[in-house]
Amino acid sequence: MEASSNLTAANAPKRAAEAGATVTKRLQTELMQLMLSPPPGISAFPRDGNLLSWTGTMAGPADTPFANLTFKLSLEFPSNYPMSPPNVTFTTPMFHPNVDMAGRICLDILKEKWSAVYNVQTVLLSLQSLLGEPNNKSPLNGQAADLWDRDPAEFKRLMLLRYREAEEE
Amino acid sequence: MSSPDAAAIRPSSHSFDLRSLTYITHVDDNLCCPICQSPLVDPFTTSCRHTFCLACITDALKVSKSCPVDRSPLDTADIKMAPVVLANLVNDLTVLCPNHALGCSATLSRGNVEGHLKEDCQYVTVDCPGCGEKIMRKDRQGDSEDCVHVEEACRYCSEKHRKLDMKSHEAVCSAFTSSCRHCGIECPLSKILAHEATCDEAIVNCDSASVGCPWHGPRKESTTHSVSCPLTHLRPLLEEHNSRIANLERENKLLRRRLEASLTARAQTDIIQSNTTTALDNQTLRVLTEQERIRSDMERLYVSMQELDMKQNTLAMFMGENMRTQEEVAMIGAAVNNLQTQLHGLQLLTIRRQGMDQNGAGNRSDGPSSQVKRAAENGVLGRAGRECFSDMFETRD
Repeated sequence: MEASSNLTAANAPKRAAEAGATVTKRLQTELMQLMLSPPPGISAFPRDGNLLSWTGTMAGPADTPFANLTFKLSLEFPSNYPMSPPNVTFTTPMFHPNVDMAGRICLDILKEKWSAVYNVQTVLLSLQSLLGEPNNKSPLNGQAADLWDRDPAEFKRLMLLRYREAEEE
Repeated sequence: MSSPDAAAIRPSSHSFDLRSLTYITHVDDNLCCPICQSPLVDPFTTSCRHTFCLACITDALKVSKSCPVDRSPLDTADIKMAPVVLANLVNDLTVLCPNHALGCSATLSRGNVEGHLKEDCQYVTVDCPGCGEKIMRKDRQGDSEDCVHVEEACRYCSEKHRKLDMKSHEAVCSAFTSSCRHCGIECPLSKILAHEATCDEAIVNCDSASVGCPWHGPRKESTTHSVSCPLTHLRPLLEEHNSRIANLERENKLLRRRLEASLTARAQTDIIQSNTTTALDNQTLRVLTEQERIRSDMERLYVSMQELDMKQNTLAMFMGENMRTQEEVAMIGAAVNNLQTQLHGLQLLTIRRQGMDQNGAGNRSDGPSSQVKRAAENGVLGRAGRECFSDMFETRD
């Protein structure tokens, strides 16, 4: 272990300066992978030429009320990404048990369960499956959680109503 | 290499980041760190056997004391250097020189990058030996200790330029002249080629050289020659002939190819026709063999069917026997029951007899037998007992 502690001590000042470079390099690698082999139903790209803020799009999963709809998300990466999770919010108005009216998302892997091995692709895929399998035990939107189990037709009606807001704007 | 030079290079070679290198070939995902998603740098392996860059896993452990891949508990003490073979694999990956953007075109294995930057790369920043300002290694004038920022006069125009910029100046210097090979006129180096293309003294061939005129001489005489050159008059005609010959040759080649193609096709049809009859014979033979094989199969199947039939009959026989045995067992069971009842009756009879004997002897004590007797009279034990007696007597009779 002596070797490793030596290495880290020697690298410490340099690494502080390089922190930005590490994030940039990692995000460039991710962007390249997303461009070269885009996963079905998911895309993401930096917005306004800023590598630390991305816009993601996601197709609603089939056999759920969200099927055939497309949702836009905003991903803001902290300067110590991937050690800390990106801040992900829905920019398309969303009606879902685990998403509040401002688009904030309650998902454990974006909070305390975050791991540095997650990336844009895994986050978007997790969110896609969250749409079809909400966690109704800790809802951010109580009405949505209630309707999800009790009245799927009404859920879909309210969800589409909110989705249309975006199209009218 | 002199020692001040090495000291000058060290900071730049230290500050280059292996993770920012550009890899030329596709890198296997298994050689990439799951955290930075780039080829591993200083690979270290955890106690749960996942491998990361040392820097990446150290950073991750500062945030959370668990393995980023499987979340098992983890501390800095639980990470060990990965096997040497892995480090060798990543160090053998081919990369572009980190100074690629500055103009270095070297491609080399990652493990050699540090050495290349220290020794060879001409685009590394070094100190000017004179004033200490940063310059590229290629701009140093050999091993001379002179400052490259000192201005000196151009050899040709005596304009003042820094040593550093001298090479690029000489390429455009108007006073740096060269004489024309033909007329001897002095001309700046940059314009000499344009001059030579039009120089009157330059030796040129006759315009009709392509159709066989052997004349060549200074350009200024070529006009007078062409007036008298017989080939120049004939040239249009000759050129037309040449082009017609070329056309005919092309056409001939095409036709020959077609002819060859149709001949081969014809030959193939002949072969196929002669082959068809033998092919048919072969097919019949195959069908016959197949039929023979199927027949033998059928016979084998017939024999095994018969065996199966026999086995089934035996089985049915055993079943019948089994049924009979069961019936017999049932009958024996019934007989045993009957015997039990009779035994019971006999016991009762014995008890009653004893009671009667005691009555006859005038003994009126309340013994067990008198109780039985009373019970029998009251009809509690009664009917079965009585029936048994009668049975007993009947059978005895």
